[in-house]
Amino acid sequence: MFGYLQVRKSELLVREWEAYKAVYCGLCKQMGKDYSFLTRLSLSYDCTFYAMLLLSLEKACPGFEKGRCRFNPLKKCQFARCDSDCYSKAAAFSVISAYYKLKDDLQDSGFWKRLAVRLVLPFFSRWHKKAARRYPQLETLVADMMTAQNLAEQNSETGVDAAAHPTANMLGSVLSLEAHDELQRRVYYEFGYHIGRWIYLIDAADDLEKDEKNRNFNPFLRVKAADMQAYQTQVLNQSLARAYDAYQLITLIDFKGILDNMMVYGFPSKQNAVVYHRQEEEDVKSV
Amino acid sequence: MSNPYEVLGVSPNASDEEIKKAYRELAKKYHPDNYADSPLADVAEQKMKEVNEAYDEINRMRQKGKGTGSTSNTAGAGGSTYYSNGSNSQFYSVRIYIQRNMIQEAERILDSTPEGNRTAEWYYLKGMCAFRKGWNDQANSYFTTACNMDPNNGEYRAALNNMNSQQHFNYGGYNTGNVNNTGGMGCSCCDICSAIMCADCLCNCARGC
Repeated sequence: MFGYLQVRKSELLVREWEAYKAVYCGLCKQMGKDYSFLTRLSLSYDCTFYAMLLLSLEKACPGFEKGRCRFNPLKKCQFARCDSDCYSKAAAFSVISAYYKLKDDLQDSGFWKRLAVRLVLPFFSRWHKKAARRYPQLETLVADMMTAQNLAEQNSETGVDAAAHPTANMLGSVLSLEAHDELQRRVYYEFGYHIGRWIYLIDAADDLEKDEKNRNFNPFLRVKAADMQAYQTQVLNQSLARAYDAYQLITLIDFKGILDNMMVYGFPSKQNAVVYHRQEEEDVKSV
Repeated sequence: MSNPYEVLGVSPNASDEEIKKAYRELAKKYHPDNYADSPLADVAEQKMKEVNEAYDEINRMRQKGKGTGSTSNTAGAGGSTYYSNGSNSQFYSVRIYIQRNMIQEAERILDSTPEGNRTAEWYYLKGMCAFRKGWNDQANSYFTTACNMDPNNGEYRAALNNMNSQQHFNYGGYNTGNVNNTGGMGCSCCDICSAIMCADCLCNCARGC
């Protein structure tokens, strides 16, 4: 995943911002415990979103505790506690995604980046094995996604929808693992599907110029639109709108204010920043 | 049935006004119009029913006797009108499959339709299958074709309008202000697009709510 699922800090209450940081720190701590302090480098806002959603769905956060940052012992911070395996699951998801992303980079990057990837890959492949053993379902879903993605990119008829489908389907399936009945499963799948689609497409919009130069695959390169930015905005808006519809049908209590903030402000402002190359407002730069 | 106060998200001590307000917000949130064509329409309908029942239950318990009671014939109506106008079409079975979320079966029938029989309705239903799968881009072009072939058909037009409003954020509750119980999130006076562009306006407005 790529780090587009952000909050909009200016619209959060102070206590919500503290809680957001506490989940981020809690997840970071868990990654250190489960894998290694190095995996924390792969920690993204997307996984924080996933962890927070899990905590909220399972009502698994009984409170906060004070501690010190694992990176900077001088910095005090709060950790959101977790009764269940939400953090472990999010950490595993993060490690598995990072591993496949690295493997993918090995195929289509420049010489220096490939060299760097070769250096870190052995570590990640060990952590990846551990994560895959603990959460085999996540492993299968991400691995299938990569296969489907490669197939889609080789097909000359792949349009925007088909290109985004593997990621969207993967995230939809990952979230539906949390469902307790069929109705919930459909709602979670629909929510995950459109968020996943949005992530894939916003990443594609972000990389469009780079991909055009390097002749890499990008679904927007095949679109003939008079105004590309307007087209991207429409496609992305619609994914968010449909994700929001499904989101409305999920019962959330804990962290609802923060998740609402992301849905209503965070994602749209990130989207505008990417599509229109705007400078982001003072934002989540430092957690 | 679960606690009706919990369903409405209010405390049992809430005033009648607060309950009415909470009810209205939820009714707006789950309104069938928000879920037209959505694969989750039935889930929203279910939620709407729960909210209506909870509201009625609370009114009964409080026994106001002012006639504020029953809601069942106002809100929630309209959920059953979908697909009612296609019962005599040649693609009747396709519509049934779509209604039941059996998209693969629907697509199989559509794809086996010979080129010559691909009417405006065929394009509309292809679009609906794509839409249900989340393939919005394809859905958009099928709906557009259907509308161009039969510009006077209200059903096709409605589907295309629904696409347009999603593409412009006016759909999906971005401007309905139904989240303001979580602390200053609501913004009913401007839609989210313009709200983001003029962050100042939005701040003021959100604080005001």
